[in-house]
Amino acid sequence: METDKNTVVPGRLVVELCGLALKNPVMTASGTFGYGEEYAPFCDLNRLGAIVVKGLSLEPRLGNPPPRIMETPCGMLNAVGLQNVGVRAFIAEKLPFLRQFNVPVIANIFGETIDEYRRVTEILTRAAGVHAIEVNISCPNVKKGGVAFGAHPDAAAAVTEAVRGETDLPVIVKLTPNVTDITEIARAVESAGADAVSLINTLTGMSVDIERRRPHLANVTGGLSGPAVKPVALRMVWQVVRSVQIPVIGIGGISTAEDALEFLITGAKAVQIGTTNFIHPAATMEIIDGIEDYMIRHRIGCMKDLIGSLQIVF
Amino acid sequence: MAEKPSIAIGQVMENRSVAPGHFLLTIRLPLSFATPIPGQFVMIRDPDRDEPLLPRPISVYGFQREEGHAILNLLCRVAGRGTSLFSRMNRGGALTVLGPLGRGFTIDPDVRQLLLVAGGVGAAPLTFLLQEGSLPEPHSGKRQVTAYLGAGTAELLTGLNRFEGFCDLRTATDDGSRGYHGNVTECLALDLAGYDAKSTLILACGPGAMIRSLALLLRDTRIRCQVSLEERMACGVGACLGCAVAIQEGEGRTGYRRVCKDGPVFDIGELLWNSPEESMSLS
Repeated sequence: METDKNTVVPGRLVVELCGLALKNPVMTASGTFGYGEEYAPFCDLNRLGAIVVKGLSLEPRLGNPPPRIMETPCGMLNAVGLQNVGVRAFIAEKLPFLRQFNVPVIANIFGETIDEYRRVTEILTRAAGVHAIEVNISCPNVKKGGVAFGAHPDAAAAVTEAVRGETDLPVIVKLTPNVTDITEIARAVESAGADAVSLINTLTGMSVDIERRRPHLANVTGGLSGPAVKPVALRMVWQVVRSVQIPVIGIGGISTAEDALEFLITGAKAVQIGTTNFIHPAATMEIIDGIEDYMIRHRIGCMKDLIGSLQIVF
Repeated sequence: MAEKPSIAIGQVMENRSVAPGHFLLTIRLPLSFATPIPGQFVMIRDPDRDEPLLPRPISVYGFQREEGHAILNLLCRVAGRGTSLFSRMNRGGALTVLGPLGRGFTIDPDVRQLLLVAGGVGAAPLTFLLQEGSLPEPHSGKRQVTAYLGAGTAELLTGLNRFEGFCDLRTATDDGSRGYHGNVTECLALDLAGYDAKSTLILACGPGAMIRSLALLLRDTRIRCQVSLEERMACGVGACLGCAVAIQEGEGRTGYRRVCKDGPVFDIGELLWNSPEESMSLS
């Protein structure tokens, strides 16, 4: 069927992801958009594809001592240490605000034990207004947890299986780039029942104050994010897209619609916008508009025709 | 109640060096930009540059509305690459301004004696308090305002002209080139016994060492004191949790608060000190 591809088709940007109908493929990345409320003065939250909230644990967490952040060339290091209000306070105090909007809420979770992942999932599944779970198996900041699960296929699969067994909500597993072969982990979580994978989390980095001969971060190392990581993220998305059957959500240094389009063309079914929110609080809105402009300009009628349309022909 | 923050493109009307390493930016903004409360800050960034990546938090030094525009004054110290680039901006240059942000100073109507204590560029948010209309009226009678300004040398006493004639003024310099020879907390300590604890409020801003010494000085008094803190920030709106400060939450519980959203103004008694001489959070 021939449609007029020059007009704005309502739903031109619609993406179906694990049974969720997203208005567009643009989500916020966990930890960069608070619980939504922080950016409500600058963004129309209803326009977002989905909101991924700050990572939640079973109990509240204080986080790391300051200094927690440091700007680096075209990026930033953070070692926040997964500070959060805890899953119960999230449901009582933060979720009611998000329920006002017509936008899927994806709860990002983490734990230090498999049982903790299971219990957080169980609590969130019973709460009204959570549409999917994103499982952080990759945060590099906490000595005991995170990296141990995400760096080993068996551990990554065990966490995925535990979360999967606890919920009917879509389960997205967020992968760490701090591994030798990310496709191995992606395949492991796919086999364990993940509905989608999102990648990449931050790359572990470090920065030193040479005058004081001290690390800039109290935690010594931190997670690198921002434009600096984009080529690495894109390469990993490309590798994973070719390795698994489940949808891939692209994350890493996306600042503009052009950046988002690179990930979509490479095969990401959706993207998450992270550090750029700190720099341009309305970045997500501009990225959505920019993707739509591109679709119109290139006469692409639906996201299906764009996603994974990369041609390697020279 | 603070007004809603917004993102605006401002235009540099003037950029003037006011002391070695210190500059005063005057930025023209749309009239719709909300009126800041003293102690609030803005995040500024050069929209024509890809780096530095992050905006920089700067406290409000002055704000007026005139001829269909809002005029924002920012007094800055060159602290790194970001502020160094701002110091070299030309008239007519564009700046993205996000704000006003954070929780400013709160002055109860029962306060009869206001003490403004500043170290170096920390004078900026306190200067804004002295601007006409910024200070709420006291319940009854007159309110006495006394400023204690400290800096390394006389020429680093920035914004002095905005204090002279507007309040009682005491100055302190590390090299003795003007006023008390020593730091500003020592200068305040000499007068402290003369102030009535019940009706006095101290508003302070300055380097970590000054805040620490002030906390020590006030530990055994009942004088109320609010301090405006400085911390590296990414977002400025409470999302990134980068600007954490350790806080005493009562009943022996401690936690981190966001300088950008829960502050930058805190009661000095809330700040958590590892030991009387050392803070977990102020460097």
